[in-house]
Amino acid sequence: MATIGCNQFMELAAPWLEGEHLPEAAAHLRGCPRCRSVVTDLEAIRAAAVHLAAEEVEPPARVWLNLRDRLESEGLIRQPGWAERLSAMFLTVPRPAIAGAFLGLFLVAGLLLGYQSDRTANQAAWLARTQTSASSLGSQLDAAEKGAVSSIRERNPLVTASLNQNLAIVDNMIAMCEKSVREAPQDELTRDFLYQAYQQKANLLATMTERGVNAQ
Amino acid sequence: MARTRREETGELPEAEAIRLAQQGDPGAFERIYQLHSRRIYSLCLRMVSNTAEAEDLTQEAFLQLFRKIATFRGESAFSTWLHRLAVNVVLMRLRKKKVPESSLEEVTEPDEESGGPRRDFGGPDLRLSGSIDRVNLQRAIEELPPGYKQVFVLHDMQGYEHNEIADIMDCSIGNSKSQLHKARMRLRELLHETQRDRARTARQAAAGETSGEE
Repeated sequence: MATIGCNQFMELAAPWLEGEHLPEAAAHLRGCPRCRSVVTDLEAIRAAAVHLAAEEVEPPARVWLNLRDRLESEGLIRQPGWAERLSAMFLTVPRPAIAGAFLGLFLVAGLLLGYQSDRTANQAAWLARTQTSASSLGSQLDAAEKGAVSSIRERNPLVTASLNQNLAIVDNMIAMCEKSVREAPQDELTRDFLYQAYQQKANLLATMTERGVNAQ
Repeated sequence: MARTRREETGELPEAEAIRLAQQGDPGAFERIYQLHSRRIYSLCLRMVSNTAEAEDLTQEAFLQLFRKIATFRGESAFSTWLHRLAVNVVLMRLRKKKVPESSLEEVTEPDEESGGPRRDFGGPDLRLSGSIDRVNLQRAIEELPPGYKQVFVLHDMQGYEHNEIADIMDCSIGNSKSQLHKARMRLRELLHETQRDRARTARQAAAGETSGEE
C-alpha cells in the first residue's frame, strides 16, 4: 500500500470525518501524531457545534410586536377590538385586589362587545345602549377604585396621598372622555381615548398598590 | 369570552394553530410564532452574527411564512418548511449585500518553507479536545468568512446534507464539502489562537505574581 504525506492526508481529512476511512489515510494517521491531533480537534469542533446548536436564543419581544404591526398593516390579521383590549388590560393587572376592582369593568366591556356585534342591525338602539354603558362603566370603576384605595389607605398614608393626587388627574381625563363618548358614541376614536384613560387608571392603581405593599 | 379564547389559543397544538392561521386567526399567528421563534432567531443569529439583523431576518421569515401559510398543505413537516424558508430569507439578504465568496487563500498564509498550504496544524502539544467552550466557539464562528460560516452553520449545526446545501446555496456538492472543511480548519486555527492567548495571559500573570513575591 502506498504511503501518503500530511498534505495528501489533509485532502482526505474531510471524507475521513464523514466516516470514509481509506486504508492509506488510516495508515498515515497511525504514524502521524500531528494529523491525529487535527482529526481529534475537528471531531471536537463538530461535537461542540452540535451542542451549541441545541442552545436556542429567545428573540426580544419587539420582534413579535413589529411583526404584528406589519401583519396588521398588510391586513393579514386584524387589530383586536376595543372590548378585547379592555379585557386584556384586566387580565394583566398584577394584584388580586386590583383584579377584583376591575371585574366590573370587564363585565361591562363584555356588554359593549355584545352591543357592537348587533350594531349594524339596529344603529339607534346600539347608540342608546352605548351611552348607558359608558355611564355604567364610569360608576363601576369608581366603586372599584374606592375598594382598592381604602385597602391601601390603611397600610401606607404616603402612598395614599400620592395616589389621590394622581387619581384626580386621571379622573379628570376620564370625565372628559366620558363626556365625549356620551356626545358622540358612534365615534371609535373617542371610545379609544376613553379606553386609554381607563388603562392609565388601571396602571396607576396597580403601580400604587405595588408600591404601597412594598413600602411596608 | 375573550379570555377563554386567548387561553385556548395559547395552548393550541401546532396543527390546530396552522389551521386557524390559514383562516386568519390572529391568536394562531402568535401561537405559531411562540412555537418556532427561538429556533428561527437562533438560526438567523448564527448565520449573520448581528442581533439587529437577526431580529429583522426573523421578522421577515415569519412575515413570509404568514403570507404563504394558506398554501401549506402539510406534505412536509411545518418546521422543516419554515426552517427552509428562513434559510432562504437569510441567504437572499446575504446575496443582496453581495458578500464576496470566501476561499481558503483568504484566510491561510502559505508555508514559508514549501510555499504550499501551511502545515502548522497546531502541533501535538496543543489539542482542543475538552477545551472548546461555548463562548469561544461562538466567537470563532462569528469570525468565519461568510461563505464558510453559512455552510458550517447549515451542515454542522443545523444538520443539512451537502446535497441540500448545494441546492439552497446554488453551488455544487463538492463546493459545499470544500467550504465546510475550510470552515472547520479555520475554526481550529481561531480556537488555537484563543488557547495560546489564554496560556500567554496565564504565564504573564504567574510571572507577575512571582516578581511581586521577590
